[in-house]
Amino acid sequence: MNKNLSVKDIGRGDGPISTVDLHDQIPLPPPFDRLEEEPFIKPLPDATRQKFACLDDTVAIGIPRPASKEEEEKLVNQFLSGMRKLFTPENNWTFLQPTLMSMEHCARCHTCSDACHVFEESGGNPLYRPAYRSEVFRRIYHKYVKEGSTFARGDIDLNWTTVARLIELAYRCNLCRRCAQTCPIGADNALLAREIRKVASQEMGISSKECHDNGSMLQLKVGSSTGMNALVVKDNIEFVDEDTTDKTGIKVETPWDKEGADILLIHNAGEIMAWPENPGAFALLFNAAGLSWTLSSDLAAYDAINYGTWYDDVQFARVAILHAKAAAKLKVKKIVIGECGHAHKALTVIADKVLTGDLNIPRESALTVLHEIVKSGRITFDKSRNDFPVTLHDPCNMVRLMGIVRPQREIIKAIVPEERFHPMTPEGIHNYCCGGGSGFAIMSGHNFADWRHHLTGRKKFRQILEAFQGEPMDKEHPKYVCAPCSNCKGQIRDIIKYYNAWEKAGIYYGGLVELMVNAMTDAKPNFIDWEWR
Amino acid sequence: MAEFKAGDMVLDVDEDGFIQEPDKWNEKVAAALASGEGVDSLTENHWKVVNYLRDYYLKFGVAPMIRKLCKDTGFKLNEIYELFPSGPAKGACKVAGLPKPTGCV
Repeated sequence: MNKNLSVKDIGRGDGPISTVDLHDQIPLPPPFDRLEEEPFIKPLPDATRQKFACLDDTVAIGIPRPASKEEEEKLVNQFLSGMRKLFTPENNWTFLQPTLMSMEHCARCHTCSDACHVFEESGGNPLYRPAYRSEVFRRIYHKYVKEGSTFARGDIDLNWTTVARLIELAYRCNLCRRCAQTCPIGADNALLAREIRKVASQEMGISSKECHDNGSMLQLKVGSSTGMNALVVKDNIEFVDEDTTDKTGIKVETPWDKEGADILLIHNAGEIMAWPENPGAFALLFNAAGLSWTLSSDLAAYDAINYGTWYDDVQFARVAILHAKAAAKLKVKKIVIGECGHAHKALTVIADKVLTGDLNIPRESALTVLHEIVKSGRITFDKSRNDFPVTLHDPCNMVRLMGIVRPQREIIKAIVPEERFHPMTPEGIHNYCCGGGSGFAIMSGHNFADWRHHLTGRKKFRQILEAFQGEPMDKEHPKYVCAPCSNCKGQIRDIIKYYNAWEKAGIYYGGLVELMVNAMTDAKPNFIDWEWR
Repeated sequence: MAEFKAGDMVLDVDEDGFIQEPDKWNEKVAAALASGEGVDSLTENHWKVVNYLRDYYLKFGVAPMIRKLCKDTGFKLNEIYELFPSGPAKGACKVAGLPKPTGCV
């Protein structure tokens, strides 16, 4: 690692400006405590390094090196003009005020560094300080964008290399906002990372292929980022209903397009494809509790994902409006968002800036709805069916951003024996990101998945291992990481697989509703499969 | 875009080795893709999975749910992993010439 990295280094040289060394990393808890046995980041081929802007050990976006001086200048100018737009109300209707505040007010105290899991797990690599990226951005702002500014913050060379590396660096942050939470003056460095992504996407057409081409564009075209059109999703849900009926002995039927239902439930469609027991469990619980609910087969309305949340306001608004329109068409009282953290951020928080008038339909988290079901006593649970160690992951967008802390804990209290619950440290609003936040869980081009496992996901893996210390760490004693968010589940699955932690330590994962149905007295036991996937 | 050679054919593949033009897929391509996924020779059981995936994809334009794959082919998930060590999505789908799965899966 380059311990003496300066802010100006971002615009200098061709190669990586800092790299990660396994020996700078802090060993994990047992039985994964031997650094020399850890898999490491596969080196990028030379051809890849030569083709794309090179920042560190990996490539997230892959910004091709320009063929000519003119092309270089064009990219720099596009970035600058986009940056200027960020500070005008008509162009930044989403985040102008917090962006401006975060640009103007940073005391460079670096309190945020200690809060950042990426910085910590990198062994303290200066490149991954939350304020490193922001400082580059702030210097460009003070030198080129803000009128009448002085150079008081320090100089910066604005060239193609600076711009391209800055955009890559905006994809080394999970946008978990733990840094913003700890900042004594409220600067939001994660927001700045997101706004850099926005300038790149909206003004330069540079974004992650997984989030844009195969993500939000696919959702707007066929209805879901998974590629499922309405016909396929209905067919799949029919299959889920049959499967859930078989497993639980309770007849399950999912209502579609039911006008006048109280609730429009929107799942992350990835659940249907990869973790069908989750939508199956939701249907079972909602029916058993007597709720009036429906799914919608309208375009995008059966997939709660809104990847624009991570990188593009226009894509964000397009999807949010489709969600609200489907709800308005069915005349439901509210939209309930399934176990998907970033969909919570998108539809309950940011969408307030988009949904006005008839489209401003109440939106609620599934966690509070599920808590109401438990409190109502309409379903009885037998805790002894969940007689295995359980820990709880707090998805950043539900917990730190929205403050939903107690509902999931009250539910756990009702369905898991007290002595079997092992909270993570820290937890609640002080949780750490799973490492898959901001699109990372679905990004795996080049060696990015390796980088993600070593830098962003390692802290969560550490927390999981710490939570289960004292339990026998083998496959004969299965343990459950409850992660009520699809994106977190995907990331936790990937990291368990990377470290072979299911085979080696019996660490398994799943959502919250699966754990509820597993304890439901009226259902056949053993709803959770404990089968690796 | 990287290239992948199968006999005398040259195919475009993405960074994860998924072929970019599903129309160019044939049995030789499948065998060549399989060798990159730790499958030395494609047995009858491999073909049962590959053909199922292929037919489903051509019909619906998307990969099937994993559980559906298991139920319809009669293989348990761990048996799929035994056939394709890199799993149903990154292994079996790749060999069947499907594009890389998208969305939060």
